[in-house]
Amino acid sequence: MPRLNLGGWVDSAVNFLQSHLSWLFDAITHLVNGMYDGINAVLDAPQPLLFAGILAVIAWWLRGLSAGVLAFVGFALIDSIQLWDDTMSTLSLVLVAAIVTLVVAIPLGIWAARSKTVSAVLRPVLDFMQTMPAMVYLIPGIIFFGVGVVPGIIATIVFSLPPGVRMTELGIRQVDGELVEAAEAFGTTPRNTLMRVQLPLALPTIMAGINQVIMLSLSMVVIAGMAGGGGLGGAVYRAIGNVDIGLGFEAGISIVVLAMYLDRMTGALSRQVSPLGRRALAKAKAAAGGLKIWNYRPQPVVAIVGVVVLAVVAGGMNMFGSSGSDAVTGAKDVGKGKKISLGYIPWDEGVASTFLWKELLERRGFTVDARQYEAGALYTGMAGGQIDFETDSWLPTTHAQYWAKYKDKLEDMGSWYGPTSLELSVPSYVKDVNTLDDLKGKGSEFQNRIVGIEPSAGETGILKDKILKEYGLDGEYKVVDGSTPGMLAELKRAYAKKEPIVVPLWSPHWAYNTYDLKKLKDPKGVWGKGDGVHTLARKGFASDNAEVGKWLKNFKMDEKQLTSLEAKIQSTGKGKEQDAVRAWLKENPGLADKWTPVGS
Amino acid sequence: MVFNHFSGCGPNPRRSTARPRGMRAVFGSTREVYVSRLQAEQLYKVFGRRPEEAVRTLESGGDRDELRADGTTAAVIDASFTVEPGQIFVVMGLSGSGKSTLLRMLNGLLEPTSGRVLFDGQDLTSLPARELRTVRSSKISMVFQHFALFPHRSVLENAAYGLEVQGVPRAEREKRAAEALELTGLAGWGDSWPDELSGGMQQRVGLARALATDADLLLMDESFSALDPLIRRDMQDQLLELQKRLKKTIVFITHDLNEAMRLGDNIAVMRDGRIVQLGTAEDILLTPANDYVASFIQDVDRSRVLTALSVMTTPHRPDAGECDCESVLPDTPVADVCTVAARVPHPVAVKDTHGSVLGVVPQERLIAFLGDDKQGPVECSMKEVATHA
Repeated sequence: MPRLNLGGWVDSAVNFLQSHLSWLFDAITHLVNGMYDGINAVLDAPQPLLFAGILAVIAWWLRGLSAGVLAFVGFALIDSIQLWDDTMSTLSLVLVAAIVTLVVAIPLGIWAARSKTVSAVLRPVLDFMQTMPAMVYLIPGIIFFGVGVVPGIIATIVFSLPPGVRMTELGIRQVDGELVEAAEAFGTTPRNTLMRVQLPLALPTIMAGINQVIMLSLSMVVIAGMAGGGGLGGAVYRAIGNVDIGLGFEAGISIVVLAMYLDRMTGALSRQVSPLGRRALAKAKAAAGGLKIWNYRPQPVVAIVGVVVLAVVAGGMNMFGSSGSDAVTGAKDVGKGKKISLGYIPWDEGVASTFLWKELLERRGFTVDARQYEAGALYTGMAGGQIDFETDSWLPTTHAQYWAKYKDKLEDMGSWYGPTSLELSVPSYVKDVNTLDDLKGKGSEFQNRIVGIEPSAGETGILKDKILKEYGLDGEYKVVDGSTPGMLAELKRAYAKKEPIVVPLWSPHWAYNTYDLKKLKDPKGVWGKGDGVHTLARKGFASDNAEVGKWLKNFKMDEKQLTSLEAKIQSTGKGKEQDAVRAWLKENPGLADKWTPVGS
Repeated sequence: MVFNHFSGCGPNPRRSTARPRGMRAVFGSTREVYVSRLQAEQLYKVFGRRPEEAVRTLESGGDRDELRADGTTAAVIDASFTVEPGQIFVVMGLSGSGKSTLLRMLNGLLEPTSGRVLFDGQDLTSLPARELRTVRSSKISMVFQHFALFPHRSVLENAAYGLEVQGVPRAEREKRAAEALELTGLAGWGDSWPDELSGGMQQRVGLARALATDADLLLMDESFSALDPLIRRDMQDQLLELQKRLKKTIVFITHDLNEAMRLGDNIAVMRDGRIVQLGTAEDILLTPANDYVASFIQDVDRSRVLTALSVMTTPHRPDAGECDCESVLPDTPVADVCTVAARVPHPVAVKDTHGSVLGVVPQERLIAFLGDDKQGPVECSMKEVATHA
C-alpha cells in the first residue's frame, strides 16, 4: 500500500483556511465571544445566593417545591465551595453552545426529515462529528479561533450537534403519516403542515434532543477547559493536572449539580411547552393526592414576578455593593490596569515562575490572567496572539519542535535559568542500574515500562525517538504517556512500596529534594547539552509593553531561589500558588523590586 | 330501503366492466364533463423506476407481474369511472388491490402516472400545487381509516381544522365546527380531547371535520373498517341518514362487500390494480363479472341487497295485482318480499307508488334468487307436485 499523505493534506488545508478565511474565523470569534460575554455578564452580575434563589423559583414553577429546595441547596453548595464564578462561566459556555447548536440543529433536522438525500448526506457527517475525538479538532480550533472560550464552544457545538439534528429528524419522521396526510388532504401548505402538525407532535422528541444537546455540552466543558475555556472545565483540568483530588471532586460535583438542574429543567420545560405534555401534567395533577404543598406550583405569572423581584434586588445590591479593591497607585502603577495573559503548562518550574510573574505584574498595576493550557494549545494560542507570554520553554533542545514551528510568531525573551538537564531517574534502592546502558535486559524488573509525562513534552520526544534507540531499549521498554503529576504520583506510590520504577525527570526538580533518586548517566550524550529555561512572548509583546519586556529580558533565577520557591508552592498546597509566591517574596525581600524596577 | 334514495339523480350509470378502449372519447366529451361531478379517466399509478415506460407496457397489454419482477409496482391500472353528484360510489377490494391509491389520486395527494381526474369539469391533474391545495381545502374532504385526528387539538379544534386552513376567522369556524359536530351527534363534546373518545366517536369527529368545510366531495378511506361491527353498522346508518340531508358526492373505500352493498349506489370491484366490475349492488350480485367477484358475493346477505324490482317477473295472468292482497314497492328488499309472500296465496304484486302493477314475484322465484339459481324449475316426473304456474 502506498502511504496516502492524508495528514499532510489536512495540514495544508488548515494552513490554507487560516490564511484565506481568517476574516470569517475572526467574525465567528467575535460573534461567539460577544454572546459569551453578554450571557456571562448577566449570569455573573447577581449575588450568588440571590441568583440561586432565582434558579430555585424556576425549579419550583417547573417541577414543584422539593425541586426548588434541592436546586437552592445545590447552588448554595457551589457558592460555598467557591466555584460560583467558574460555574457561571461554564453555564454561559453551555448556554451559548446550546443556543448555537439548536439554531443550527433544528432546521437541519427538519430539512433531513423532509429530504432523504439530505438525510443520507448528513448521516456520515454527523457520525464524523460525534465520534471524532474532540482533541483532534480542538487544536485546529485554536489555530482558527485562538485560545479562550471560542474553540471550546466550537468543539462543544460540533460534539453536541448530532443528537440535536437526529432527534429533530426522528421526531418529525415519527409523526403518524396519516396525520400528515390528513393535513395535506385539507389543503394545508407544507409550511403549515410543519408548523401546525409535525412540529407540535414532534416536540417531545425534539425537547429530548435539546436535553441531550445540553447534557453533551456539559460533558464537553472539561475539554473546553484544556483550550483555555475556563470555568468548571478549567478547574477540573487544573485539578487533574495537579492530581488535586479535592478540587477535582469539588469541580466535578459542581458540574453534576449544574447538569442535574439543566436536565430536570429542560425535561420539565418540554412538558410545559408541548400541548400533549401540558395535558398529561394536568391529568397527573388531578390524580395526585397527598400533601398539597408538595404539589403546589406557582403560576407562571407568580414565578415570573418572583424571578423579576429577585433579579431587581440582585441588580440593586450589585450596584451599591462591592467597590474597588486594594488599588495600586503612584509610580508603582506601571500597568494602569492593562491586561496581560499568561499561559502555563503544569510543570513545577513553570507554575512557580508563572505565579511569580503574576504577582510581580499585579504589584505593578497590571491585570494578570494566568491560565493552564495543554502544550499544543499554549504555543498555538501564543502564536495567535491571545496569550502574551509564558516562562517555561526549554531551548535549544527540549522544546525545539515548538520553537521551529512557531518562531516566526514568537519572541524569545531570553533564558532566566540554566543550565538544565534531562534524565531518566530511578530510586536509589534500585541497585545495579546506574547508567542508561544498565537498563538493557532489566525490562521485566520495571514491568517493561517507563512511566512518562505528557506526550507533548519535548523530553518525551527525545526519550522516545533517541534514547530508546541509541541504547537499544526499543521493544523492551514502553513509554507510558501520562502527565507530570501522574508520573510524580506513580513515583510516590512506587517509592513508598520500594518498587523499581524508572521515570523521566529534569533538573532542577523538587523531587530530588523529596526522594532519594539516582540520575542515570548518559555516556553517549544523547540527551544533549543542558537547556536554558526561556521566556517566550507573542510577537510584538515587548514593543507593546516596553517596561515588561525589559523586566522579562533581565529576569534571572538561581537554583536555590527556584527550588525554594517550588518547595514553598508544594508545601502551601494546590490552588494557593499565589499565596505561596507572596509568602516567598516576603521571605526574600528586595527581589521583587530587583526584578521589576520602577522609574529612575 | 337503502339503495334508492338518490335514484333520481343523473343518468343510469354504466353497468359493464368490459369497456372498450375507444369509449374514452365519449366520456371525454363536454356533455359528460359538465354533467358529472367526479370523473376518473384511464388513471394509472405506477411506483418505481421509469413509471411512464411501465404505463406504455401496460397499455399495450403487458402484465403486472412482469413489471413487478423489475421492482416496479403498478398500483392502479386503467381506472375509469364517473361519480354522479349526490351519489355514494364505493370502491371495493382487498388490501393491495390499489383502492387507497386510487382514492388518493382523486384529491391529488398522489399524482397519477397517466390519466386525468375531472371534478366539476376542472382537470385536477393539471392544476399547480397551490390551486390544488385550494381545491382540497374548499371542495374535497377526506375521512381516514384510523381517524387521523390531531391529538394536540381539542375535538372542536379538530373539527374546525379545514376551516382554519381556509383562513375562516376563529368565531365563525368554531360556530361551523360546532354545527358539524352536532350533525354527527357529538354536540357538547367540543372541549374534549380525541383520546378521551371511543373509536366510533373519534370517527364522528373525523366525519365532522370533513363536513365542516362544506366540501361537495367526500373521500372516505376505509373509514369504518377500524370500528367494531355494531358501531360500524351505526356509522353506516348515520352516514346514510346524513347523506339524505346533505347530498354530498361520496367516494367510499372498503374491503367489506356487505358494507359496499349497504352504502353504494355504484360499486367498483378492484383486483390487482384493475377495476374488474363496475355496477350497482344488484348488478354485481346477479351478474358477477368473473369467478373472483362471484367468490366475494357468496357471503353477502342477498335478501337484503336484492329488491322486488330485480327478482320480479311479468305476470302470467292479466288480472294480477287487482286483488286487495298486500303488494310491495319495487325497492322493497327480498327479505321483506318473503314476509309478504308467506301471507299471500299467489305471486306478490310489485306496484309503483301510483299503484300500477310493474310485475309479480312468484314464491319459487324468491327461493331461486336467495339460492342464487336462475335456471328456473325443471320438470318433475310426478307432475302433480307443482302447484303454482
